[in-house]
Amino acid sequence: MNLLKISWANLKEKKLNSFLSGLLLTLGIGIISLLLLLNKQLDEQFKRNIRGIDMVVGAKGSPLQLILSSIYQIDAPTGNVPLAEVNKLRKNPFVKAVIPLSMGDNYRGFRIVGTTPQYVTHFEATVADGQLFSAALEVTLGSKVAEASGLKVGDTFASAHGLDEEGEAHGEKEYKVVGIFEPNGSVVDQLVLTDLSSVWAIHEHEEEARSEDQVLPGELTSGEANEREVTSALIQFRSPMGLVALPRQINANTSMQAALPSIEINRLFSLLGVGIDTLRALALVIMLIAGVSVFVSLYNSLKDRKYEMALMLSMGATRTRLFLMLLLEGLFLALLGYFSGIVLSRVGLWLFSRAAEQDLHYSLSQFGILHEEFYLLGGALLLGVLAAALPSLGIYRLNISRTLAED
Amino acid sequence: MVSSKQLTFSYSPLKKFTFPDLHCNDREALLILGQSGTGKTTLLHLLALLLQPESGEIRLNEQSLQNLSAAEAARIRAKELGIIYQRAHFVSSLNVLDNILLANYLADKKQDKNKAAFLADQLGFAEHLFKKIHQLSQGEQQRVSIARALMNDPATILADEPTASLDDINCRKVVALLKNQSASIGASLIVVTHDQRLKDEFSNQVSL
Repeated sequence: MNLLKISWANLKEKKLNSFLSGLLLTLGIGIISLLLLLNKQLDEQFKRNIRGIDMVVGAKGSPLQLILSSIYQIDAPTGNVPLAEVNKLRKNPFVKAVIPLSMGDNYRGFRIVGTTPQYVTHFEATVADGQLFSAALEVTLGSKVAEASGLKVGDTFASAHGLDEEGEAHGEKEYKVVGIFEPNGSVVDQLVLTDLSSVWAIHEHEEEARSEDQVLPGELTSGEANEREVTSALIQFRSPMGLVALPRQINANTSMQAALPSIEINRLFSLLGVGIDTLRALALVIMLIAGVSVFVSLYNSLKDRKYEMALMLSMGATRTRLFLMLLLEGLFLALLGYFSGIVLSRVGLWLFSRAAEQDLHYSLSQFGILHEEFYLLGGALLLGVLAAALPSLGIYRLNISRTLAED
Repeated sequence: MVSSKQLTFSYSPLKKFTFPDLHCNDREALLILGQSGTGKTTLLHLLALLLQPESGEIRLNEQSLQNLSAAEAARIRAKELGIIYQRAHFVSSLNVLDNILLANYLADKKQDKNKAAFLADQLGFAEHLFKKIHQLSQGEQQRVSIARALMNDPATILADEPTASLDDINCRKVVALLKNQSASIGASLIVVTHDQRLKDEFSNQVSL
């Protein structure tokens, strides 16, 4: 028998009240915690893939779409650009590296990206098994692709057209797996990488079997040697001076557009930010209501327990001791609400993560405790104590004799 | 041993009580008889140190209990007094055993489960020890409150209308119980009531 036991017994006695307060606290804390988790992981993933890329050039259209498709492999590309124009950039004094990309096919939903070995070194991917692609139609698989498809070094497969698995299969020419990458934490994990020439080789054959007006936008056509096209190119500058004139030049004087990743991603986050801020405000409101619920619950319970309090005071309890006992009730509720909120947010994250994996092949499954969540704990405890303290102060005004005499 | 001299108390200028002097030795019982409105509960609360008298003195075992601070009064109440209220009050969220042990806990004494079990046995509610209070009958609840009052071996036991709602047979039983139990721990027993049936049970009597 001690204060803890009595407080806990009191909470159990008023099951519905405690449940309501606990539920509201759980919701409020769960939402805030989920937002914190998502924010951190999205932030990390976005930053990881964008590192070291100063500019992206591709077909004219939405700059955000260009960034999303070329760096993050989300969303469809904006179109194609002539390889010759891309190569011209290599001569620009501000440009350090040009990494061309060609996209348009997939295997079981995982995108097949034709590029140069520079792409691999940029993302710091290392080969776990086998080797890097060198000839046309050789591929190296990202770790997630290998896991999901079960392909091993030496296997061959046919790609499907477009970005989802239901696309028309390119039956005639097959890709051959020559290597598999180590898990990398970047977009490479979910890609099938091959040489730039592969994608032209595949479509060359197809061309002959199809008429012109069946060509889809963004699809690569082989054309003649000097009319070869690519989807986009990732550019690294030699110095930040490149930012000054180059993007404008490209937008005005060529058939391409230049998109700056950091600007577009910031814009994306500020758009998302409105949604996140609203959710956060909502969560805070819920927590406040939770506090009110704790307050009301304790207030009512104290009115009912007036005699019990007077009794305990008459039996020798000090008012401060009883005040502490009541505070403990608020603390317990806050603790319970916090822990179930944290669990709830992880469940929510797991659900989000499954959806993201399925559709976008991004994994959001880091479930560790963030240090912001310790502040959240402090906030929850403070809320519980304050909500409990207000009605509990009534203990100091209780007239023992009168209460016990009033039967 | 308990004694009081020239106790007075007033709730307001119109409602003033002057009480006769009292004296009760250890192992003895004192009956305070009075109709409603004569200040019985007030006197009990004064003796229980729940109220401060306007004038007069209370002595417990030769120690004067005048001008005590609230904390001192609480401590003495916990250790030296056992109070049995007219309507039994308990902590509804705890079971019978915990309610009895509460007396030890609030007096900062070691919680004596064996004693609680012993008293429960003596008072005939041993099989209800782990039930919630509301599951017991009124008579059983009253016996639980007697056990609780005895837990700290107090110097004085104060009982407020212990037989008010009982029939003649149970009335006599409860009185015998109270006398035996308080005698067995060497305490003084003071019963405050309007129940005329108790007149014959007590040699030491005072009327209000």
